Formats: sequence, C-alpha cells, structure tokens
Amino acid sequence: MERSIQKNGLVNLLTLLVAAVATFALARTGHALAATMAAAFMGIGTIVAAVSWFQMRLEDRERAEKLEFDELARSKGGSALFENKDGGNFPAQQSREQFDKWFVPAFTIIILLLQVGGAWFAWKWLQQPGTVVPIKEPMVVGSLLGLFFLGMLLLGLFSSTLARLEKHRLLRPSASYLLICAYIAALAAAGVAGVEFGVPKLDLIVARVLTVLFGLTAIETVLSLVLEIYRPRVKGKVAQPVYESRLLGVLAHPENVFTTAAHTFDYQFGFKVSETWAFQFFRRAILWLLLAQFGVLMLSTCVVFIEPGERGLLERWGKPVEGRAELAPGMHFKLPYPADKVHRFRTEQVQVFTIGSQPDPKLADVPVILWNQAHTKEDLLLVANKDQDSVDTANKATGKSTPPVSVLTVSFPVHYTISDLKAFAYNHQDSGKLLQAIATRQVVQYLASSDIEDVMTRGRQESAEKLRNDIQTAVNAVQPPLGVTVSFIGLQDIHPPVSVAPDFQKVVGARQTQQAKILAAQAEAVATNALAEAAAFKVIANAEAERERAQMNAGTRASLFTSQIPAFNAAPSVYASRAYLQAFVKATASARKYVLVATNQHDIIQFDLQDKIGKDILDVTVPSGK
Amino acid sequence: MNKNPVSIIIGVVLLAVFIVLLFVFQVRQSEVAIVTTFSKPSGTTLGPGPHGRLPWPIQKVYKFDQRVQAYEGKLIESQTSDKNNLDIQLYAGWHISDPTQYFLKFGDSAPEKGEARLSEMLQSVQKAVEGKHPMSDFVSTGGTKFDEIEHQILVTLQEQLKANNYGMEIQFVGIKKLGLPEGVTTSVFDRMKSERAVLSSDYEFKGQSEADKIRAKANTDAAKRLSDAEKQANLIRIEAQKAITDTYPIFQQAPELANFLLRLDALEASAKDRTTLIFDGNTAPFDLLRGGSITNLLKK
Repeated sequence: MERSIQKNGLVNLLTLLVAAVATFALARTGHALAATMAAAFMGIGTIVAAVSWFQMRLEDRERAEKLEFDELARSKGGSALFENKDGGNFPAQQSREQFDKWFVPAFTIIILLLQVGGAWFAWKWLQQPGTVVPIKEPMVVGSLLGLFFLGMLLLGLFSSTLARLEKHRLLRPSASYLLICAYIAALAAAGVAGVEFGVPKLDLIVARVLTVLFGLTAIETVLSLVLEIYRPRVKGKVAQPVYESRLLGVLAHPENVFTTAAHTFDYQFGFKVSETWAFQFFRRAILWLLLAQFGVLMLSTCVVFIEPGERGLLERWGKPVEGRAELAPGMHFKLPYPADKVHRFRTEQVQVFTIGSQPDPKLADVPVILWNQAHTKEDLLLVANKDQDSVDTANKATGKSTPPVSVLTVSFPVHYTISDLKAFAYNHQDSGKLLQAIATRQVVQYLASSDIEDVMTRGRQESAEKLRNDIQTAVNAVQPPLGVTVSFIGLQDIHPPVSVAPDFQKVVGARQTQQAKILAAQAEAVATNALAEAAAFKVIANAEAERERAQMNAGTRASLFTSQIPAFNAAPSVYASRAYLQAFVKATASARKYVLVATNQHDIIQFDLQDKIGKDILDVTVPSGK
Repeated sequence: MNKNPVSIIIGVVLLAVFIVLLFVFQVRQSEVAIVTTFSKPSGTTLGPGPHGRLPWPIQKVYKFDQRVQAYEGKLIESQTSDKNNLDIQLYAGWHISDPTQYFLKFGDSAPEKGEARLSEMLQSVQKAVEGKHPMSDFVSTGGTKFDEIEHQILVTLQEQLKANNYGMEIQFVGIKKLGLPEGVTTSVFDRMKSERAVLSSDYEFKGQSEADKIRAKANTDAAKRLSDAEKQANLIRIEAQKAITDTYPIFQQAPELANFLLRLDALEASAKDRTTLIFDGNTAPFDLLRGGSITNLLKK
C-alpha cells in the first residue's frame, strides 16, 4: 500500500513559504539584490508546493474512496449497485479529475504570468541607477542566506530522495524547488560576500543571472502548457504535473549530469566508458576532489606576491601586523584568509591626474593641437585682468558690464608618488581625491591672482616650479599627513576657450601685420636715404667737375689767347679768315648742307627737311661680288 | 538520506563558517565600531581587531570609517558684496570624531548621511561668507584672499558642528573652483573678443602710423641731404666762376679777337649732329663755287 506523502508536501510548502518571506524581508532590509530574486524563486516554489500539496490531498481522497469502494464491493459480492462506476458514485475521483482538468492549467497560467511579470519588472528594476545601494550588514545577510541554503538543501535532498525511491511524482516539484532555491540562496550569499570582499558588482551580476533564469522558467512554462495540449492521453498512464519545471529539476540535481555524461560517452565511444575504473573513481571521489581543491585554494591564500613598484599592507584581523606591516616586492607568507589580508598599493609608480580640462579619449588621435579646435573636455577657469582700461573700453563697446576677469582653458598634468604608505592608506579615505582637490585649489588661486597676458606668455617654467612647491607645501600642511610627494606639474596647455581663440589668433596676426608694415617702411626709408645720398654725391661731384673743368679751361684759354694775340696783330684779316675757316670746317663737318649757287634769283626752291624714318631702296648698299 | 561522510564534513564546515560569521566580526585599522543590542548602542567604541557579538537581530554592528573623508561640494552660484555673480565649488576634509553621537544623530554609520548634512551647512556658510567679500577678493592681480575666506568658512562650520554635536569634525575647507554663470560667461567672452579686436586695431594702426613716420622721416632726410649737396655744389660753382673771372683781364688785351674767338667757339659748339645748313653762294668758302678763275677768287 502506498503511504501518504501529504505531510512531506506540507512541510515543503511551509518551509518554502517561511524561506520566501524571510528572504524577502532580509533582502529589503539589507538591500541585497540577488536575495530579492531568490525570494521571487521561493515565492513561485511556494505556489508550486501549494498546488502539488492540494493535488496530493485529492489523490489521497480518491485512493481512500477507491479502497472503500473495493471493500464494499467485496462484502456485497459484486452487487450491480457497485458495478456502476459512473462519476456520480465517486465524488473524490470526480473532484480530482475536475482539479486536473481545470485548476492545474489555471494555476500554471497564474505561475506563468507571475514568472513573466516578475522577470520583466526585475530586469527593469535592475537597470535603474538608484537600485544599487550599499548592502547593510552584509555578513549577517550572507550568513542567514547560508542558513537558508543549509535548511532547504537538507530538506530538499530528503524530499527528492523520497520522491525518487517511492516514485511520488507530486512530491518531486516541491523537492526540486527546495533544492534549486537552496542553491539560489547560496548564490545570493556569494553575491553579498563578493560585495563585502571587494567585488562590488557581484550582487548585481548574480541578480541579473537569476532574472534571466526566471525568464527561462517562464518560457519553459509556456512550452509545457503548449505541449500539454497536444500530449496523447493514454489510459492508465499517469501524467507529469504540468507546473513542474524540468529545467529547474535538472539544475536541482546536478549529480544527474554524471549519468547524462556517462550515456553520452558510452554512445560516442561505442563501449561502456562509464564502467571504466577512471570514470567510476571520479564519480566516487568528486566531492573529495572538490574538498581538496578548496583546501588548496585556502593554502594559496597563505602566500602573497608583491609586484615590482608595489608595496603591501599586511593586516591580521584588521590590525597591521607588528613588525611587518609593510611588505616589499617579493614573496611573503601569511595566515590564510580571512585572518590575514594584504592591501596592495602602487607606491613606486608615478600616478597622474589632470587639473582643469580633462583629456578627451575621442580626440586622443588628433595629430595637431590648436587653440581653435577642441582637444579636451573644456573646463573654464577664471583668470584676473589687470588692465582695467581695456576692460572698461571693451565693456563700453559691448554695452555690457562684466567683472574684470577673463576665462582660460588649462590642462595641467600632475605626477605624484606615495611617500608614506601607512599615512596614505589609513589617514584619508581617498588620499588621491584630496590631493587632486588641493592641487586644483592652488592652480585656481594662481590663475585668479595672475594677469591673463602673464599667464599665457611669460615665465611658464618658473610658474610650474612655483606651483609644484605651493602644492607640496599645501599637502604637507594637511593633518593627518597625506603621505604623497608631488614630483611634477606641467603647464603646457594654457589657452583661451575655443570660441574666443580665433580672436586671440587675430591679435597675433595683427602684431605680425604691424611688424610687416614697419619693416616695409624701414626698407623704403633705407632706399630713399641711399638714393638721396647718391644724388647728393652726384650733385657735388658734378659741381666739382665743372669747377675743375672751368678752372682748367680758363687757364688754358687764357694761355692760348695770349699766344694768339701776336698772330692776330701780325695779320688780322688772314688770322681771322683762317680761324673762321678752321672753325667752319669743324662745325659743319657732320651737318647736312645745302648750297644755293644758282644765279636765277626768281626760282622757288623747296627743301624737304623731313628725316627719313625707313630706308628706301636707294639707301640699300649692294654687296660687292667676290 | 545521503550519509556520505564528505557531505557531512562539508555541511559541518559550512555550518561552522556561518556560526563564526554570525558571532565574530572584524574591525579594520581605519575603522571603529559600535555594537547595538536591540537597537540600543552599547556606548563603547571598538578598535581594530576581531570582536565577538550576538547574532542579528539581537546585536547589530556599525562600523565607522575613521579616516578623513574628502568631500567635494557642488558649484554654487551666489553674489559677492559688490553684486557680482560668482560660482564657487568648495572641498572639505572631515571625519567622524564621535561615532556614538554620529550614530544617534544619523541612525547609520555611512559617511554619506553626515556628508549630506555637511553639504547643506557648507552651502549656507559658503553663501554667507561670499556675500561679505567683493569680487576682487576672489579674482585680482593684486592678490586674492582665499586663505581668509576659507578660514572664515572653516571656523563657522566648526562652530555649527560643535553646537549641534553631530559627532563630526571638519578639518579643512578649500576653494576648488571659481566660475561664472553661463550668461555672464557669454558676456565675458564678448568682452574678451572686443578686447582682442581693440588690440588688433591698435597693432595694425600703430604699424601703419609707424611706417608712415619712417617714410616721412626718410623723405625729409633725403631732401635735406640733397639740399645740402646743392648748397655745396653752388659753393663749388662759385669757386669755378671765380677762376674764370680771374682770366678776363687777359682777354681784355684784345677784346675784338676774344669776342671773335668766342663766336667761333659758339658756332662750333652749336652746329653739331643732325644739323641742316642752307648756304647761298656768297657764304665763304662756298663763294668759291661762283668765282670761276683764280684771279676772281683772289680778288675776293
């Protein structure tokens, strides 16, 4: 006789109900995302367990009714009254059949709607930025989830074994849900532990994975419903509950994977691989191997390697270890986790942050850095303007009243190293962020007290050195100490904002135009002066030449004249005639001459005194023959 | 039921781990902790190291970060005493000085809770102090008063935190950024453009002016130099004229001959190339062309 499993079903139902409520309360109190999804699985598990428990009760009633009927039939000797097996005489059987026909599909549809809605809302909820908040009391949340895991695991294993051995198909769904919910609780605990031990997104990741799994169970429920419609109804064959998840069943019994794998190997290799000693050894020793692996993992936490350029802070139960609080690069031994923990810091490596406009990765490949082309994420800083007249003039021109300040875009990289590790790690929650704030403050003050022209032009190297010293002094003044040394600050990128830059460039162009005009004028002046000098020299030289000539001519002519007087006196007419004719010959030698010797005085003679522009044929000289 | 010893060992180990996690907690070097029993703080703070506790919900552990927290405020617009709108962003360093008081006031150990209250107080004090200072105390080539402003904010905040007994202590305050509201920034851009336009014009016209001056000076210098040269040349010419004048008495010995010779020179000099001369037959020596015999010629 088959024994009743109603009590087991009820225990499963109550366990899942308590676990669902407790996990949901824990998740909401502790802000654990994966635990919220675990509570959702447990909620669905509770409904499934409730349906299966109710179905168990109906089947028990039907069984009791059948026994009673058989007993009566035996005692009355096969009376016709008991041969009629119509539904009217078996109310329990009718109830069970009605339940199977109408209520089970209806419950399955409700479960489907809950799964689809739950998956959709959970996915949306996990996408929202405000969803992820720090987990409160993570160790408590993790520990309680661990306890739920243990409780559900033990009960789930018991129920599952009972369902398998005694073939209680209605106990199987709740047993599977207990097991899968146990594993999900363990996953949620791992997510919380990850957050506590330095993987802040693990809880969110686990929650998303569980949401996907939730969605997959919804798809499986749809498929089950569709397949149930087309399932051939064979008389005498008991149907599997439509609300039972095969997917969760496989996940809840990972040991079945071995059986599945064995069948696959046997089929693939053509002989019984699953009967070899190696396969059997692994099957038997898998838990030991996993335990040994866990032991090795724990042992590996006893050794730590500090990389070059790093130093480690060794803490035992949260306190620095006396005498070896700082670990140099190399191998070190320590107590296993969680007794000893090592926190690594890049003490030797130069760390960098940028003050002002931050480098834009999208513009990193731009080959030319120009003022009028954006090459950083522009951040405007105020700079003073000492030329009040210029500000007033410009305000008058624009018709607006603006303060005597200008704006600049600067981008100063700052390099620093950790000089005191303990101070860096223990004195300030975020020493790097504080250093950045202090350095920015010094730069802002430097710009606010400097003239825009001075900042952009003169003394950059000196300003950089002064700024570095100022930042270091400000850092040293912080109590408790920051433990950092500022090694460099670069002032390479100072320029007006992109929208104003073209006007600054025009000034540079105007300055060049000014120089060009002055230089052109200077060149002209040099030419003018040189030509004037030459002209002056020529005038004087000509005058001097005239003087020389006049002096010489006057002397020689006087001497000549003195010698001519006796000749003239000797023969005045002859001398005069001779002198005249000599002068006549000389004077007319190259002149064109016309001599009129005609005696007829009444003729009119015309002379064409025009110069010939071109030669005519008569002027051509015929070359002589050889 | 599965009686595999490995399962039992794993179960026992996991149970032990969970029990340890429920009854023991760890405080880091940078932290202090307080324990509440049924939500009532024990009153003592626990330093670094392992500590025992009763499991939740009997006892709860609140850990407080003892390190200095670097807070950065928002860029807040306010008015200076000379009615200029100025945006200021402050940073501050603070820490939890009394964890029990902090817990009582904020009901939590998270620094974010105290930081939110600090932010409100800082904004209030920032606006109050900014309103007491002119723009030139923040931006001026004559020197800013950052230290004084920061000190005023710090002292006021310290007093307020002490008076309210928030369990927090602020250690320093600094100005991280100065800015102008968007509308003012646009106006400043326009003014900067105008300044540059004035500078550009200044350079260009100064250049033209300078060039014109250079040219004018060069022309003046050239004219002066030529004038000097002319003057010098005239002096030289006077000297030449004087030399010629000195020879005149010699010519005066036979003035008729001298004038005749001068006319011959003039004739010779004037009848040069491209001269066309028309003579009649009476002009010597062409009169020979009419004479015919030697006697007639000699007669002439």
